[in-house]
Amino acid sequence: MSNLLVQDLVKQYSLEGKSFTVLDKLSFSVDSGDFLTILGPSGCGKTTLIRCICSIEEPTSGKILLDGKPISGIGPDRLMVFQDFNQLFPWKTVIENVIYPLKLNKVSGDIKTLTRRAEEFLDLVHLSAFKHAYPNQLSGGMRQRVAIARSLALNPKVLMMDEPFGALDAQTRSILQKELKSLWRKFQTTIIFITHNVQEAILLGSKVMVLSLSPAKIKYYKKNPLPEPRMPETPEFMALWHTLYDQLDTQRY
Amino acid sequence: MLKSEIRERRVTVITKVLFIFVLFFFWEYLPVWTGRDKLFPPLSRVLESLWQNLTTGELLQHIKFSLYLIFSGIGLGIILAFFLTAFCMISKTFARIMDVIVSIMHPLPGIALLPVVMLLVGLGAKAIIIIIIHSILWPLIVNSLAGFRAIPKIQLELGRNIGMSEFRLIWAVMIPNAFPYILSGLKIAWARSWRALVSAEMVFGASGVVGGLGWFIYKTRYFMDIESVFAGLISVIIIGMLVDEFLLKTLENKTVKKWGMSA
Repeated sequence: MSNLLVQDLVKQYSLEGKSFTVLDKLSFSVDSGDFLTILGPSGCGKTTLIRCICSIEEPTSGKILLDGKPISGIGPDRLMVFQDFNQLFPWKTVIENVIYPLKLNKVSGDIKTLTRRAEEFLDLVHLSAFKHAYPNQLSGGMRQRVAIARSLALNPKVLMMDEPFGALDAQTRSILQKELKSLWRKFQTTIIFITHNVQEAILLGSKVMVLSLSPAKIKYYKKNPLPEPRMPETPEFMALWHTLYDQLDTQRY
Repeated sequence: MLKSEIRERRVTVITKVLFIFVLFFFWEYLPVWTGRDKLFPPLSRVLESLWQNLTTGELLQHIKFSLYLIFSGIGLGIILAFFLTAFCMISKTFARIMDVIVSIMHPLPGIALLPVVMLLVGLGAKAIIIIIIHSILWPLIVNSLAGFRAIPKIQLELGRNIGMSEFRLIWAVMIPNAFPYILSGLKIAWARSWRALVSAEMVFGASGVVGGLGWFIYKTRYFMDIESVFAGLISVIIIGMLVDEFLLKTLENKTVKKWGMSA
């Protein structure tokens, strides 16, 4: 079943009086429950694309349909997890950061049920012990976990992630990748995940897309053929890595 | 806390307390030794006078009046600053005009405005409150605006993304994000208004009413009651410190410091 449909999406900026096309007639669809990873060279418009889907930015033209209906402004049905660690409210504790959006969106249930739901999701990202801490007392990886828990608790139709692990060290990054994958399996949330890292794209994605540079066009969009568990040492993994890397590389000159 | 930090802190406290004792010692004995105790009374006589002035209730009357003036002024100033800042956020034109007004008014000491205020509203509480409002309004506006302009974009995007209305965004995201700046504005506002109040009271005196602490100092000097002058000065220092060190610092520790936010 098709969940998200992007049709002839164009995004232009005007830069010093000149119009500058970032996204050039992108069309693709994402099925419900897909984990789509998007690769692309820096500045190619990956972020712009998901910011359009999230309605943080307005596309210049084109259509974005969610479950067959045009998307209606920014809202919690399409949530974004940013790369920036500053995506929690510093004046709220960890658990308050998770409960607040639930209350705001009148997720059914009294405060007790909401608290239990928040606790449950914090438990899933292994942060129960820190629920009464303030964000500034947490490490970067822990803050990203809170942001993921907060987003999943809201049960969005599409979860967009803009290089959420990009500013983390390699070890934390690898742990969080595994956690995210198991959360995705558990909740079957549709995820669009942006990354620079080819290995990350292969490890996580059920589908992988590669975008070209200025303007962004789809160079590659396929189902990830590798079975689970995916091991970077296997020849199949290496082969796919090279295929994707070449797609990226040819764009550099 | 590390051991060295505990030691560091202990040394700091001991140094400060020791210094105060030395200061008090010289305050007590130097005037007597030099025979100048008529003009510069020893500490014991100042404290005695402070106690007397407090127990007769006279000093308390003045303190109460000063506090009434300053809190009315600060209250009104905050309300005014809130609306002016809000208008600046809504209208770019208003913000530009406000920039000019602030540039003109900010460097102007409240006391310099006294003659004009006196001519316009006469002597009395009203004039002093206007001086206080003047002394806090501009730093409050400057700081609040800086705070609102420094809100990270991501916090606004996040707020909208989780479903906040634009109105809710103001008090649930923008104000808390700007709070470190607003608080430092309040600290400047307090320091300025307290100084402005005491000076203004000295010039205005007690037209019709009891008069505040400034007037108390001025009046007692007039009668050469130097002990009471110092008692008044000590009251000014203590109240200033109480608000600064306890009220505002506690507020800072319980909010901005705890949240790891800074202006």
